[in-house]
Amino acid sequence: MTAVCALRAEWTKLRTLPSTWWMLAAIAGLTLAVGAAVTGSVDTSHCSTPAGCMEDTPKLALSGVQLGQVAAVVLGVLAVGGEYAAGTIGATLAAIPRRSTVLAAKAAVVAAVVAVAGTAGVLASLAVARGLLPGNGFTSANGYPPLSLADGPTARAAFGTVLYLVLVALLALGVGTAVREQAAAITAVLALLWIVPIITRLIASAKWEDRLDKIAPMPAGLAVQATRGLERLPIGPWNGLGVLAAYAAVALLAGGALFTLRDP
Amino acid sequence: MEATIEVRALRKTYGPTVAVDDLSFTVAPGQVTGFVGPNGAGKSTTMRMIMGLDRPDGGSALIGGKPYRSLRAPLCRIGAMLDASAVHPARRARDHLRWLAQANGLPARRVDEVIDLAGLASAAGRRAGGFSLGMRQRLGIAAALLGDPPVLMFDEPVNGLDPEGITWIRALLRSLAAEGRAVLMSSHLMSELEGGADHLVVIGRGRLIADTAVGELLKAASGDRVELRTAQRQDAMAVLARAGATVSASGPDEVTVAGLTAERVIAALNGAGVGFTGISEHRATLEEAYMELTRDAVEFQGVAGREAR
Amino acid sequence: MTVMAPYRSTVEPEARDGFGRLLLAEWTKLRTVPRWMLTLLASVVLMVLVALLSAAGSESTGQGGGSSDPARLQKIDLGHYTYQPLAGDGEIIARVTAQRGGGAWAKAGLMIRGSVERATPYAALMVTPGHGVRLQTGYENGGAGGGTAKAPRWLKLTRSGTAVTGYESPDGRAWQRVGSVRLDKLPENAMAGMFVAVPDEVEVQRQFGGESVSGNPADTGARFDQVSVSPAQPGAAWRDRGAPGGPAADPGVDGRTGSDGTFTLKGTGDIGPNEFADDSTKTTLTGVLIGQAAIVALAVLMVTAEYRRGMLRTTLAASPRRGRLLAAKAIVAGLAALAAGLVASFGSMLLAAPMQRSNGLEPPPLMDGTVLRAVLGTAALLAVIAVFSVAVAVIVRRSAPAITIVLLLLLVPQIIATGLPLSVARWLDRLTPAAGFAIQETVTRFDQAIVPWAGFGVLCAYALAALAAAYWLLRRRDA
Repeated sequence: MTAVCALRAEWTKLRTLPSTWWMLAAIAGLTLAVGAAVTGSVDTSHCSTPAGCMEDTPKLALSGVQLGQVAAVVLGVLAVGGEYAAGTIGATLAAIPRRSTVLAAKAAVVAAVVAVAGTAGVLASLAVARGLLPGNGFTSANGYPPLSLADGPTARAAFGTVLYLVLVALLALGVGTAVREQAAAITAVLALLWIVPIITRLIASAKWEDRLDKIAPMPAGLAVQATRGLERLPIGPWNGLGVLAAYAAVALLAGGALFTLRDP
Repeated sequence: MEATIEVRALRKTYGPTVAVDDLSFTVAPGQVTGFVGPNGAGKSTTMRMIMGLDRPDGGSALIGGKPYRSLRAPLCRIGAMLDASAVHPARRARDHLRWLAQANGLPARRVDEVIDLAGLASAAGRRAGGFSLGMRQRLGIAAALLGDPPVLMFDEPVNGLDPEGITWIRALLRSLAAEGRAVLMSSHLMSELEGGADHLVVIGRGRLIADTAVGELLKAASGDRVELRTAQRQDAMAVLARAGATVSASGPDEVTVAGLTAERVIAALNGAGVGFTGISEHRATLEEAYMELTRDAVEFQGVAGREAR
Repeated sequence: MTVMAPYRSTVEPEARDGFGRLLLAEWTKLRTVPRWMLTLLASVVLMVLVALLSAAGSESTGQGGGSSDPARLQKIDLGHYTYQPLAGDGEIIARVTAQRGGGAWAKAGLMIRGSVERATPYAALMVTPGHGVRLQTGYENGGAGGGTAKAPRWLKLTRSGTAVTGYESPDGRAWQRVGSVRLDKLPENAMAGMFVAVPDEVEVQRQFGGESVSGNPADTGARFDQVSVSPAQPGAAWRDRGAPGGPAADPGVDGRTGSDGTFTLKGTGDIGPNEFADDSTKTTLTGVLIGQAAIVALAVLMVTAEYRRGMLRTTLAASPRRGRLLAAKAIVAGLAALAAGLVASFGSMLLAAPMQRSNGLEPPPLMDGTVLRAVLGTAALLAVIAVFSVAVAVIVRRSAPAITIVLLLLLVPQIIATGLPLSVARWLDRLTPAAGFAIQETVTRFDQAIVPWAGFGVLCAYALAALAAAYWLLRRRDA
């Protein structure tokens, strides 16, 4: 019963903040806009043959999630950091004293809304890419069938991308609960996500790059988008997403533990 | 240059809401002026405009004849405490005062002087995040006094303080005014100003309701009523009515008399041989006077909370 | 009521309301919040750590062998050069009758230089198929000249003291001056001759969603006649400097043939900057990508912490002139970032050097002008980023969105660019604030999007625009 009340309360809290709607729009909008821009700018001109491109078109279409995830991070952090900033955390805990219930309700609500916005962004990106790709030489004749969710790997990439967004938002929620300060939490999560892609640019060692890509949340998590050359990936699609899920779980558990032990 | 705050036809709107409407008053030196009105009456907005923080939509607010934004070393002209919680929690109290002094090039010794003046000596090395409300209030007052300014302005300085703190602030403001400074102190509770203010500026819904000395206001609110205590209530009422007074029973053995001075009441009762056990001139409290003033404007209560903007 | 004498502040005569005081106050504010000073320290530590990490992972790639001056590794001086001694002032004239292969930037022409040792100063006058007649010296990109002239063309290169001047003519009679260069320390006994050179073909290959760029050696050839060197040295033989590698050199692509005053030169490789050189300075300093996050957070918090707690009102009560306040905040944030940047960039270079040496790499020379520009530029880059963050924070007023916006603008173009085609990535690196990172480049590489100072200028322009908007809003808004 409390759980239902907590869910309803968290949903109302989230729903009544304009920033929530901005962030949800940004998740879908950025994913679509960047995905369309990237898809539109890639063609087969630099490949030996169009088929030789081996372009992973579903992954290309969904690459906008790299930017869209930033909005998911901000949303996740704001869900709890905003309460500390505004001081409403006191009222929240007065209404529902069980910390774990509060955090679980927040996680459920955030996951649900991010899933909806992510699904919208992913489906729109795929639809736009389906229209753009043939014009850039990625035609069926060249070995690039039109994007379709009926295709197993494509469906897995699309579904996995939505899950990726949800997990990133949960990771942010966990870190935000642990850190409380919004600025610090956002900086920390963005650093955690981006730091390895930056570092691998610096280290010219393929071995280390593979090792890092296996354990870093963003490169590992995004492995779920791959539909071609799976044997070349440092980590399998679902295993990669599992790595990100582990990060999110640890962050949520740590956040929950601190939330319970600490005075608000 | 006279040390005053002059507010002239000040006006501020937020969208369709008029927060301050054609407000004019002057805060004179040498006395404590209470700035009273219910929550949402526009007190804080007016103070922010005096400080040059909010831009007026009309009129002007001058300090010693000049708008705030043109003051040089403004902390030496006016000291203000608008929000006592406006300190960075991680900064030590002394450091908070230090940067403030540096901003106006004030000598470093002033920091220690105001710390002593505000009774913060033992807490000055602590971070402001751990301060109680009372200590924050003292820190805010110390900050206001940094430039030893001739004009002081405090927004709700006693709000939330314990009786000891209230007494301390009241005495401090009185002594500051006695040095010839102009002191403006806002409150939404008239009772907080009882015995603390010499002059009152009362506003409601952003408009001026009264700008008067406390003594005159009380006199006007008291009227010339007399409270009479007597065992022979019926007789007394009859006698006094005949003498031309308006009489009403205010208790089993109490009568309120209006229209006759106490001397004439005594004379009339003695003449008719009606005995009484006590007689006193009615003295209104500030609270009553305030209620009288704002009786027409009870709907202010409905707009409470806007001030928290 | 008695009228009292108006109260006069006792400290007002001592008060000094100057901009310097405001700077001091802002510095005190920054200094007295311990976690802000820790943030500053964290940025330094992060940058140095990344430098050490990249130095530890660096390996000698073999081609340079680690033996020669790293500054020279960034220059290439190849092609084929056929020369004679030139004693004192004099000139060389020749006609390029035909040029074959190598694309728009294939070079055929005359060269005067003091030594045939590679990567030494030279002056070269050449005709190119696509970029006209040009006079080139040194190992930066470009060279002066242009137009549409092609072979056949008459060329003349004269030496007078240290000045070398180039002329071109369609017919060998009406000469047109192309330009003049100064070769300091050009010895009395120099060399004059003909050369051909050609840049590597940059091949972009796209596969598996990534682009690999490789430089394939191209080859070119040209025919010269009517060659004359004056003053003539009787009996002087033409000598050749061809491709390095001695016996393995393929005579089909490198060599000289000809008779009766006609020469046919074939060669491969270019003269100019090495467009595929590793930029070890930039690699050492790339920690700024991570260190900047702390600087951004600090600069944003310096503003938003005041908004959040209403402390801005206290600040504005003390200094009501808002433009000056914004300037003071921006300057203090910028200087703090500059100081952290100087410590971090010099620290990175100095601490990484021993590790690079032990890995067989010569660390970049700190006193070299270009390297020093990159090192100082990194600190300046952080300073401008801090100013930009302050401005964005004033505009947005809240920490979370301000930090996100600034970091996105600085980081995302660089990371997203890796998945994009080179041409698109270049535009991102030119137009976004991320262009500022170009100040760290010490090598003109094939993938250079924008020259260092121009890139820095782009970032400065963003910072100035944001400051202007912040100033306008701050003045206009209620606090």
